[in-house]
Amino acid sequence: MLIRTACLLLVTLLPLTVTAQPSQELNVYTHPSFAAEWGPGPGIKQAFEAQCDCRIHYVVLDSGGDILQRLRLEGEESMADVVLGLDTGTMDTARKTGLLAPHQVDLSALELPISWSDNLFVPYDWGYFSFVYDTEQLPEPPQSFDELINAPDDLKIIIQDPRTSTPGLGLLLWMRSVYGEEAPEKWQKLKDKILTTTKSWSDGYFSLFMNNEAPMILSYSTSPAYHMAIDKTDRYQAARFDEGHYLQVEVAALVGSSAHKELGREFLQFILTKDFQRHIPLKNVMYPAIDLGPELPEVFSRLIEPAKTLYFEPATVAENRKAWLDEWLDAMTR
Amino acid sequence: MGRSIRAPLSRPGWQIWPGTLLALGVVGLAASGAFALLWQAPALDVSELWSNRYLRSVLVFTVWQATLSVILSLLLAIPIARALDRRRRFPGRTILLRLMELSLVIPTVVAVSGLVAIYGRQGWLTSLLQELAPSLSWNLYGLNGIVLAHVFFNAPLAARILLQALESAPQAQRRIASQLGLGPLWQWRALEWPAIRSVLPGVAALVFTLCFTSFAIVMTLGGGPAATTLEVAIYQSLRFEFDFGRAALLALVQLLICGSLWWLVLSRGISSALVPDRKLADNHGRKGNTRARLLADSLLLGIFTLFLVLPLLAVVSRGLPGLADSLSLSSSPMSGSGLLQATLRSLAIALPAGAAAVITSLLVLAAKKSGGNQLRSRLCEVAAYLPLIIPPLVLGTGLFLLLRPKLGITNEGLVLVALINAIMALPFVLQLLRGPFHDFDPATIHQADQLGIRGWYRWRWLYWPRMRRPLALGMAYGTGLSLGDFGVIALFGSPGKPTIPVLLYQQLGSYQMEAAAATGLWLILLLLALFGFFNLLGRPYSLIARSHRTRAEFPEPNHA
Repeated sequence: MLIRTACLLLVTLLPLTVTAQPSQELNVYTHPSFAAEWGPGPGIKQAFEAQCDCRIHYVVLDSGGDILQRLRLEGEESMADVVLGLDTGTMDTARKTGLLAPHQVDLSALELPISWSDNLFVPYDWGYFSFVYDTEQLPEPPQSFDELINAPDDLKIIIQDPRTSTPGLGLLLWMRSVYGEEAPEKWQKLKDKILTTTKSWSDGYFSLFMNNEAPMILSYSTSPAYHMAIDKTDRYQAARFDEGHYLQVEVAALVGSSAHKELGREFLQFILTKDFQRHIPLKNVMYPAIDLGPELPEVFSRLIEPAKTLYFEPATVAENRKAWLDEWLDAMTR
Repeated sequence: MGRSIRAPLSRPGWQIWPGTLLALGVVGLAASGAFALLWQAPALDVSELWSNRYLRSVLVFTVWQATLSVILSLLLAIPIARALDRRRRFPGRTILLRLMELSLVIPTVVAVSGLVAIYGRQGWLTSLLQELAPSLSWNLYGLNGIVLAHVFFNAPLAARILLQALESAPQAQRRIASQLGLGPLWQWRALEWPAIRSVLPGVAALVFTLCFTSFAIVMTLGGGPAATTLEVAIYQSLRFEFDFGRAALLALVQLLICGSLWWLVLSRGISSALVPDRKLADNHGRKGNTRARLLADSLLLGIFTLFLVLPLLAVVSRGLPGLADSLSLSSSPMSGSGLLQATLRSLAIALPAGAAAVITSLLVLAAKKSGGNQLRSRLCEVAAYLPLIIPPLVLGTGLFLLLRPKLGITNEGLVLVALINAIMALPFVLQLLRGPFHDFDPATIHQADQLGIRGWYRWRWLYWPRMRRPLALGMAYGTGLSLGDFGVIALFGSPGKPTIPVLLYQQLGSYQMEAAAATGLWLILLLLALFGFFNLLGRPYSLIARSHRTRAEFPEPNHA
């Protein structure tokens, strides 16, 4: 009886969408928050479908790492036409798979803190890693990495694990770009201030930071924009560090085995238009990849401006990631 | 269809083959998962297991924290189960049992946020401790937190299984013990220990395995990379390094450690004592209860209830503000009007998965029971435990290589998600059904044989009345596990329409902390409702099989 009900449920709840078939479907692999109801995905889908005779279909995977993993597993038989959600930390690994095709997109509209001329990857947004702090618990945040490292040990921070999380890897690269060869000993000094190292950004932000467990958490310089614009609170701000901030660029790319390469390229070109980019600032909480002009929400003018943009070329990251990771593990487990 | 003398489904083959084939399927899937990785991997470097300092420390830590968690969980679970067995009636007992069943199925991110609200640096209890005893420096992060969380998750589960064993202690012995007014020590020796002795190794192995493979909890509360389990290393190898070889090697190590533990447990043979099957628990506390014991039991159960309820209360207080918004059907983009749809979607995956887990468990148990073939019985054993010790990521990746599902593209993929969830739930459901299924004494079976009550009729009149409750509980576990699962669906990818756990992570990723807290609370409420609902279904009805052995009806306890 129950089973019969369940089967009925299954049949009624999972109908295959039967609509007038547009001529082509575009499968986009992406991560959960992009395709979410309040994320940028739905608005972008609507805007693009209005100008093409096609239908966008988002396939939601766990994160950038999983998108790449999935692509590798599927190889030449991938269902994906476009992957959206890789970043500068995973880019070069994706390039080496040989599964991606050149985008042939005109990148002149790009507005990034660095120059960009990659032939495979189209940036769709960017942001700086930074420590977000709770002004109520920490009225005087550290102004630099040095200050943070030399602060008394009762200043606690939450970070993410570089083995499992993108921001976690970002911090590793940030420290490396500031301190170079000295990074491991600086990590050892920082160690006692780290309250804990979470598996993902979500775990840290939701379970700990929002429970007031620590006054500072590794996040993005754009995080306060959400709290200011949507939550209407100035309580959470990003700490500006004198040494500069590490840049993350999120990118999309065309899959080589796609049967709809033309449409895919159209979509990649569409990324660099206002119809795509206007959904980025408050729905993805990152900086748009082009100049939005007056359309950029006012809160973005109240974010920190790094003195210096720190950045490793993706190839450098791919080359050294494992060694730097091992150094980090070694420093942290001493 | 002419009337046949044979009872439907009474051919021996019906008891053997479906279960055997299913078991074979489960083992085949799991094995092919691991083998697909090995086949994709270049050469295996086994020596790095002991030459690589990092891997060595990970392995040692994993075993150590799991061992510690098992010891503490059981030390708490045994007295709790005994106290619950002694106190058959007190207000709130049913709710407490429901809560104990939940611990296995609560998504970790929700539970951890509750634990942190109580024991964290700003936690309620921590503040209280600081007031009372400033010299005590309690720190949640580190081994403390890991073990605390593991006890929070596993002690209730262990106590619940042990309670089921205690309650199945033979009625006649119970009555005699209570008439003789045995002291607690004798009660323990004569009644309780024999009842739990057979399930204890299994429970210990279960808790060990769960703690061994624990991942998000260990990282969040572990403090730093010193607290790393094998699962993290597997995750890292698969996700970032694409090092299939190392992932497969580590998965094999896990399989070896947990597998040999289970083998130890099972090879000792779970002795089911030959007891008369008059298993009707009385609703009255046993005699020989002194006031002091009543007080001790009450205190113990009270503290345990607080231990369980406080973190959940924190989840409630955090989630309530946003819950009304989330449930409102208005389709404003900023309120999660999708919560109800996500709920239906989740149920559509979870209910079939639960049913599949229960049916598979029954068939596998039946096949195992038919005996005869040593190999078959072994196969069924392996199928019952393998899903527990194969890392989901390895299973998923392997299956992916084999099946190449077009999951995110079409909704058919959700059937596969339900299937994998069912496999993941199998060990727990089997654990619940095993005892009641095997507890029939030979005399009854022999009599049924003589009377020709076979096949369908035997199931209908002999097994079904006594299996209703465990079956309902198994269904609740199977469904609940799938309902709270994020791992499988995240691994394979899903269409843009989220299930509840996917919705939760989408909200977190979009900074919607209040909405996420509401979703977490909703999920817990839903799980509670689910366990309550299946519990109602499992209530025995007054229609009792009238074989001429039945005597007067005893009231069944209205719990469990």
